[in-house]
Amino acid sequence: MTNLLVWPVLVPLLGGLATLLAPRLANPLGLACSLATLGAAAALVVVFADQGPMILALGGWAPGLGIALRADGLSVALLAMSSLVGLAAGVYATGYFADPDVRGRFWSLWLLLSAALHALLLSGDLFNLYVTLELLALVAVALTALGGGRAALEAALRYLTIGLLGSLVFLLGVTLLYAGYGTLDLVGLAGALRPEPVAWVALSLLTVGLLIKSALFPLHFWLPPAHANAPAPVSAVLSALVVKAAFYMVLRLWFDVFDPALTQAAANLLGVLGGAAVLWGSWRALRAERLKLLAAYSTVAQLGYLFMFLPLLLALPPGPSRDVAFGALVLLALSHGFAKSALFLGAGVIQQRAGHDRIADLGGTARALPVTTFVLALAGVALIGLPPSGTFLAKWQLLASAIETGQWLWLPIVGIGTLLAGAYCFRVLGHAFGPSDRVGAALAVGGEEIPALLLAITATVVLGLGAAGLWEFLALGTAFDGGSR
Amino acid sequence: MIDSLIDKDWVEALWLILDFALAVLLLGLAAAAVGTRDLRRGIALFIAFGLLVALVWARLRAPDLALAEAAIGAGVSGALLLAALRDVPPSGLPSVGARGLPLWLLNLGSVTLAVLLGWALLLALAGSDGIRLADLALANLEHSGVSNPVTAVLLNYRAYDTFLELGVVLAAVLGVLALGPARRSVRPAGPVLNSLIRLLLPLLIVTGGYLLWIGATAPGGAFQAGAMLAAAAVLLRLGGDATAGLPGAVGQRWLLALGIAVFAAVGLGVSTGGGAFLAYPHDWAGVLILLIEAAAMLMIACALALAYLGGRPAGWTIGDREGG
Repeated sequence: MTNLLVWPVLVPLLGGLATLLAPRLANPLGLACSLATLGAAAALVVVFADQGPMILALGGWAPGLGIALRADGLSVALLAMSSLVGLAAGVYATGYFADPDVRGRFWSLWLLLSAALHALLLSGDLFNLYVTLELLALVAVALTALGGGRAALEAALRYLTIGLLGSLVFLLGVTLLYAGYGTLDLVGLAGALRPEPVAWVALSLLTVGLLIKSALFPLHFWLPPAHANAPAPVSAVLSALVVKAAFYMVLRLWFDVFDPALTQAAANLLGVLGGAAVLWGSWRALRAERLKLLAAYSTVAQLGYLFMFLPLLLALPPGPSRDVAFGALVLLALSHGFAKSALFLGAGVIQQRAGHDRIADLGGTARALPVTTFVLALAGVALIGLPPSGTFLAKWQLLASAIETGQWLWLPIVGIGTLLAGAYCFRVLGHAFGPSDRVGAALAVGGEEIPALLLAITATVVLGLGAAGLWEFLALGTAFDGGSR
Repeated sequence: MIDSLIDKDWVEALWLILDFALAVLLLGLAAAAVGTRDLRRGIALFIAFGLLVALVWARLRAPDLALAEAAIGAGVSGALLLAALRDVPPSGLPSVGARGLPLWLLNLGSVTLAVLLGWALLLALAGSDGIRLADLALANLEHSGVSNPVTAVLLNYRAYDTFLELGVVLAAVLGVLALGPARRSVRPAGPVLNSLIRLLLPLLIVTGGYLLWIGATAPGGAFQAGAMLAAAAVLLRLGGDATAGLPGAVGQRWLLALGIAVFAAVGLGVSTGGGAFLAYPHDWAGVLILLIEAAAMLMIACALALAYLGGRPAGWTIGDREGG
C-alpha cells in the first residue's frame, strides 16, 4: 500500500518513455499518461485524507542508509495541483504543436517534468532533493528550447546557466550538512541539527540556491525572458509549478529541518526581498508591452507574496495561529498556480489566433474570443485577490497575521501590490474590450479555450469557496516528524 | 627493523611531496583554464585538470571516482567541448566577461566564499561525532548483493537516486536533440588514424564490458562502462562514420528508453510480493543489479554518443527516411 507513493513519479516517467518510443502516437499516449498521473495523485489524496501521512522506505532500507519518500498535506496538495495543471496544459498542447517531431519531444519532456515535480514533492532525503531539482531544471531548460528559435535558445541557455549555479550552491550546502551531521534523511537531520555556524552557513547556501531557482527579487532577472519565450503550455507550467517547487523546498527546509537554527532576522530579510519583488514585479508587469511578459513579471510579484509569509510564520507561535497562516500560504500558492497557468494558456490562444500578444493591439479580442477574454478576467480576479478567489482569503490572512505580529511593513506593500495588480489586469481587459478595425469573428468557443477556462474557474471559484477544506487537509499531520502516525 | 622504519618514513615523505605538488598543480591548472582567453587552450587545460583530479581521487582512495572523473570528467567532456569548439565561427565568440560585474569584484567574492566555506567545513568536521553513513553501508554490504560498497550505494541503498539520474541523462539528450540536426560528418580518416581506430575499438568495447562486470566487486560500473562505449563511438565518428556506430533512429529511441525501463521493471517486479519499490530479494540482488547496470550502460553510451553528434541524426525527425 505504501508503494502508492512511487506511482505519481513512475506513471509519468514510463509515459515519457512510451512517447519517446512511439512519437507518432504522442498525443493520445501523452494524454492517457497525464490522466493516469492524475489518477495516481487522486489515489494519494484519497488515502491521505483517510489515513494521514505516508512514508515509503525505498528498497526496504531504513531512512538514512536508504531514501524515504514522505507525503504530508503540503506535498499532497501541491501534487494534486501539479497533476491537474499538467493535464489541463497537456490537453491544450495537443493542438498547439503543428510539427509532429516537436510534439513527440514535447510530450516526452512534459511527462518527465511531471515525474520530476512529483519526485521533488515526495522526497524525504536531502541529496535526493538535489537530484530531483537537477532533473527538473534540465527538463525545464529542454522544454524552453523546444521552440528552437534564437530567442528561445538564448533564454534556455541563460536558464541553464542560472539553474546550474543554483544547483551547485545548493549542493555545497548539502555537502556541508553531511559533513557536519552525517545523514541526509530530512527527519534525521532535523533531529541532529543544532543552532551553530555550520547549520547557518549550510542554510544560507541551500536557501540562496533555491532563491535563484524560485526567482526571488533581485535574482529574478532570468525568469521573464525564459517564461515569455517558451511555448505557451510550457510557460504555463514553468510559471505555475516549476518556480513553486523551489519555494516548496524553502518551506520544507526552513520549517521542517532547520527550525532550531532559524532567526527572525533571516526571515525578515527574505520577507523584505519578497516585498521588493511584489512592488518591482507588479510595476514591470504594468509596463510590459506583451501579454506573456506581463504574466511572467506578475509571477515575480506573486512569488514575492509567498516569501512575505516567512517572517510572519516564524513570528507566530507554533499552534493554531501559525497553522492558519500556513494554510493561507498554501492557498495562495495553489490559487496562483491555477490562475497563472490559465493566464498563460489564454495568452497562447490569443497569440495563435491573432498572431501576436502585444497588449496595445488586443482591441476586438473580447468580441472575437469571448471565452478567452473571460479567462483573462477570471485569472485577473485571482491575481488581484478579489473575492471569491482563494487569493482574497490568503491576502486577508496575510494582513491579519501582519497585524497580529505587529509587522506593519507588510500592510502598505500588500496594498500597493494589489492596486498595481488591479492596474495591470484592467489594462489588459481595457485593451481587450477596446474597438477594432477588423470585423469580429462569430461567437464560437474553440476547443483550445476550454482548459484555460477550467483552470481559471478553479483558481477563482473552487479554491475560494472550498478553501476551508484545505486547512483541514493540512491539519492531518506531517510525515516529517520522525514517524508516520 | 630500523631500515624498514626509515623506508616507511621516506615513502611517507615522498607521498607528502607528491600530494603537495598535486595540490599546487591542480590550483595552477584551474586558474590557467579559467584565466585564458583562448578557448582551445582553455579546453586543453581543462582536460589536463580533469586527469589531475582523477589522480587526486585515486590518492584519496576513491578509485571509483577516479575512474569516473578520468572517463567522463576529462575524456567525454573534453571530447564534447572540442566538438563544440568546431561550431564557433571563425570570427570567434564575443569576448567573455566584458559585461556585468568587474572581475576584481567576482574574484573577491569567490575568495570570500571559499574562505567562508573552508571555515564552515572545518567546523563541521571538528564538531561532528564522526559517525557517517559509510559504516552503516559497510555493515549492510553482505545483504546488498555486491561487494563493492560504491556499487551497493548507487544501485541498492540509494538506487532511487541513480534511477532519477538516468532521467537526467534522458532529459539532457532530449535537450541536445532540440538544438537541430546533427553536425555534418567529418571526412574519412587517413590510414594511420584508421589503423589506430581498428586497434582501439575492440579494446574499448572489451574494457567497457569488463568495467561493467567488475563493478560488482571492484571499482567500475555502468557510468564508467558507458563512457568507454561512448569513447568508441567518438573514435568511429572521428574516423568518418557519420552514425558514430549507433543503430538507426528507432534503435536509438529504444536504447535511450532501455536504462530507465529496465530499472523501473526490476523495481516494480520485486515489489509485487508486497515489498517496497526497488527492494531486491537477497538471493537475486547481484543478478538484478548487473541487469540494471547493463541496460544503463547501453543507455548512457547512446546518450553520450548523441551528445557528441550535437543534434538529431538522420532519421530522428518524423517523416525523414530511416537510416543514414
